[in-house]
Amino acid sequence: MSGNRLAQEQQPVYAPCTAACPVHTDTRQLVEFIVEGRYEDALELLLEANPFSSVCGRICHHPCEQSCRRSKVDAPVGLMRLKRFVVEAMRDYRLSRRTAGGPPQKREKVAVIGSGPAGLTAAGDLAREGFRPVVFERSATPGGLLGNAIPRYRLPYAVVKEDIDDILARGVELRTAVTVGQDLLLEDLFAEGFAAVLIATGLSESRTLAIPGIDSRGVLLALPFLRTVLSSQPPAVGRRVVVIGGGNVAVDVARTARRLGAEKVTMVCLESREEMPAWSWEVEETEEEGVQIMPSWGPRSVFGEDGELKGLELRRCTAVFDSDGRFSPRFDENDTATIVADNLIIAIGQRGNLTCLRGSGVETDGPDRIRWDPGTLATSREGVFACGEVATGPGSAVEAVFDGHRAAKAIVHYLETDELLEQPPMELPHIGEIPDEVAEKVPVLSPVAAEVLSPEDRVRDFSEIERGFTEAEALAEARRCLACTTGALVDEERCAGCLTCVRICPFGVATVEQTAAMPQEECMACGLCAAQCPAAAIALKRFGTNQMREMVQPVVMELKKRAGAEAAVIVSYCCLFEITGRDFIRRAQEEYPPRGIVPVLVPCVARLSVADLLSPFEVGADGLVVIGCSEGSCLYPTAEQRVMERIRRAKGVLAEIGLESERIDYWRTERSAEASWTAFWELSQRKLSRIRSASEERRR
Amino acid sequence: MIVAERKPLAEIRGFVDDYRRILILGCGTCATVCLAGGEAEVKVVAAGLRISFLRDEKEVEILEDCVTRQCEPEFVADLPRKVQDEGVGAVVSLGCGVGVNFLAQTLETVPVFPGVNTEFFGAAVEPGVWLEMCAGCGNCILHLTGGICPIARCSKSILNGPCGGSRDGKCEINPEVECGWALIVERMKKLGTLDRLAEILPPRDWSTSHHGGPRKVIHPEAAPAAIGQGKAEQ
Repeated sequence: MSGNRLAQEQQPVYAPCTAACPVHTDTRQLVEFIVEGRYEDALELLLEANPFSSVCGRICHHPCEQSCRRSKVDAPVGLMRLKRFVVEAMRDYRLSRRTAGGPPQKREKVAVIGSGPAGLTAAGDLAREGFRPVVFERSATPGGLLGNAIPRYRLPYAVVKEDIDDILARGVELRTAVTVGQDLLLEDLFAEGFAAVLIATGLSESRTLAIPGIDSRGVLLALPFLRTVLSSQPPAVGRRVVVIGGGNVAVDVARTARRLGAEKVTMVCLESREEMPAWSWEVEETEEEGVQIMPSWGPRSVFGEDGELKGLELRRCTAVFDSDGRFSPRFDENDTATIVADNLIIAIGQRGNLTCLRGSGVETDGPDRIRWDPGTLATSREGVFACGEVATGPGSAVEAVFDGHRAAKAIVHYLETDELLEQPPMELPHIGEIPDEVAEKVPVLSPVAAEVLSPEDRVRDFSEIERGFTEAEALAEARRCLACTTGALVDEERCAGCLTCVRICPFGVATVEQTAAMPQEECMACGLCAAQCPAAAIALKRFGTNQMREMVQPVVMELKKRAGAEAAVIVSYCCLFEITGRDFIRRAQEEYPPRGIVPVLVPCVARLSVADLLSPFEVGADGLVVIGCSEGSCLYPTAEQRVMERIRRAKGVLAEIGLESERIDYWRTERSAEASWTAFWELSQRKLSRIRSASEERRR
Repeated sequence: MIVAERKPLAEIRGFVDDYRRILILGCGTCATVCLAGGEAEVKVVAAGLRISFLRDEKEVEILEDCVTRQCEPEFVADLPRKVQDEGVGAVVSLGCGVGVNFLAQTLETVPVFPGVNTEFFGAAVEPGVWLEMCAGCGNCILHLTGGICPIARCSKSILNGPCGGSRDGKCEINPEVECGWALIVERMKKLGTLDRLAEILPPRDWSTSHHGGPRKVIHPEAAPAAIGQGKAEQ
């Protein structure tokens, strides 16, 4: 642990959300942009890290949330939904930036085989570097499993298309309905002038089971089933459907079967409930939709009549993995069960399809895995690289995006230097959990729930089950962010070791030995110490308030120039966290200054020092209106008390120089900024106009 | 630590009324710790003066700075040049009286005004509350009085107390002031050395205090060249 500024500067330490994200989306910064209403910047940040941001805002396994430090206080911040909010709110902006166009593409052609998240990410990156990527896709629709398998209730195609169109607009050529290895060979690509080839075909085929009766009519494989569901002629399923498998695809299949009208859907899996590889939240939603789960069972045989499926026999699975953690299921043959079924859908895993390598000489690892170097992403043939699940094995969408970025780097390096680039695995250092003694002092703020359809409504059709956050909900959720790593920084040369910070820190974090230290692992970034430090030796990594005078000066001076106006000129410092829509404040910042009121947003008015409170008067304002957060909603203990103390001191200073202390007003937000601020401004302005006239009268 | 309190702004304004470029200079040590004259208070004083001049429609430039300690040559070495280069007409020091003196000597032709009242040597007995505990008399007798100073903490600085004005541990001058001798007695009871107070202390030689004129301390290692000019010789 270190509160030492230099040590912190030398070795950046990240917020756990950022470190946990495979593509290291700067989620902490993203939330800050949202809070500030800078949604355009938020979108740019997202797309820079992840061109599949629309998709990942819906279906990501969100390791960011799993590592969120707020979990220890109440529940993680809904980061995935915040990302979705940004892409949804910025749809028009995204289209407008798309037309801006990419760089001229003068460099070599690169063939990318497969248009899933890995391949398209790589292609997008290559285009941005000026290469000419051409993506070959076997299906008519790009997107890999995102476009062709994931059910629409989780991921509407329009969402996938948003991301894909964005990538294509960078200058990526897409050739659909072309099967490399069949319609043309890898060899032909090199002959056609492609300088490199990237294999990113994913795991596109379902594995099947070798048990008696598996070839009965009515037995289906997961991926072909899901693909057909997305086609123009969705399949009919029987009344009773059994799904074999406990992973995310099995869950998709089971829920899809319910939506196709199956009355009784049962998932059978080897794993125990706790071991099921599907995400826990997906399993919960599946059960809500009436799917029955039979954990710790394995299929023994399929039985039928005249080749028609009738049901299957199960045996108890006693262990899935051996002592080394390898898949090696063991069964109790005496513990059996029978289950009737009109359809059986097998969802026990996916494998690669290496058709594209036909005749290429690229070495494989068994029948469905490519042989590749995990560091350089090179295959056995020069100029041919591999990335995504076909190389790495099963993973998530965001991991595929990460691998796509790596592949683009690998290929760019190869084409520029003729050498392979070693990209070792990289883990970002992060600040870890909040210490217990700090966590217990953080006020609880319950997460904002996103509206989800009722299970009964959900299974009626393939409508998306969750509505995204409204702007007000997104802003309310964003304020829950603990702003990890953005805490206080001490200038040790200025620090007098006076202990003021230690005495006022509401989280008990500040210490003083030689000089003050607020270890960033513990600091909650409230800013109370910075505003109180008598040596002005504490800075904040975000939302500093040391430029208040410079900020208000030009506006106030402009207003004062239009002298003769009846109304008093007022600066209003307002709590940023009380806004429920950015339009309100944008409008207010346009409409109110001409009326003599200059709103300035501050993330917690307790960050304002006495000097900050005086600065409006320095530049000629007649009054100051401070608007704090609503009752009981402050993020920081004691903050309101500190603001009140500082306002008292600032009033004292005014009195010392003969100004009325009533020139400073404090209001507490009522309900929201929109609901109360304009009324506060008008009331205060009326009062201040009277004070000003009386004061001018006296001076005459 | 030296404890000070900022002067009222109206008084400071009175000092500098005739100047057009004024430097407010904080001190980063004692004055910062006692919240009277650190960098944050420099900003407050500067803001207050700016507002005050603005109201009177006087064009005055207020500059702000803060040095680590106003009582060391190295920390104020740059000041004369800075003051000259920036055309500063007057300096308001938020350091203790020592700082004001030292700056006045350093700056020679530019007036230096006190922005704080220097109060005493004291301790922060609780956040924001300081209490006088030492009078700097130049001859410590704390070993005789249980570590509690009769010079600083007795209103009369008597050596054989308490006097008849001690009531329930408080001093007759003000019921909020503790009787220094009552504190000494309580402390020595706890130490089991109360009997030592039976010995009457003789009148002391006050020449080590300010009564002997301005004093000087010379450290033989740090200032070998100065030996022969002051106390170190004795």
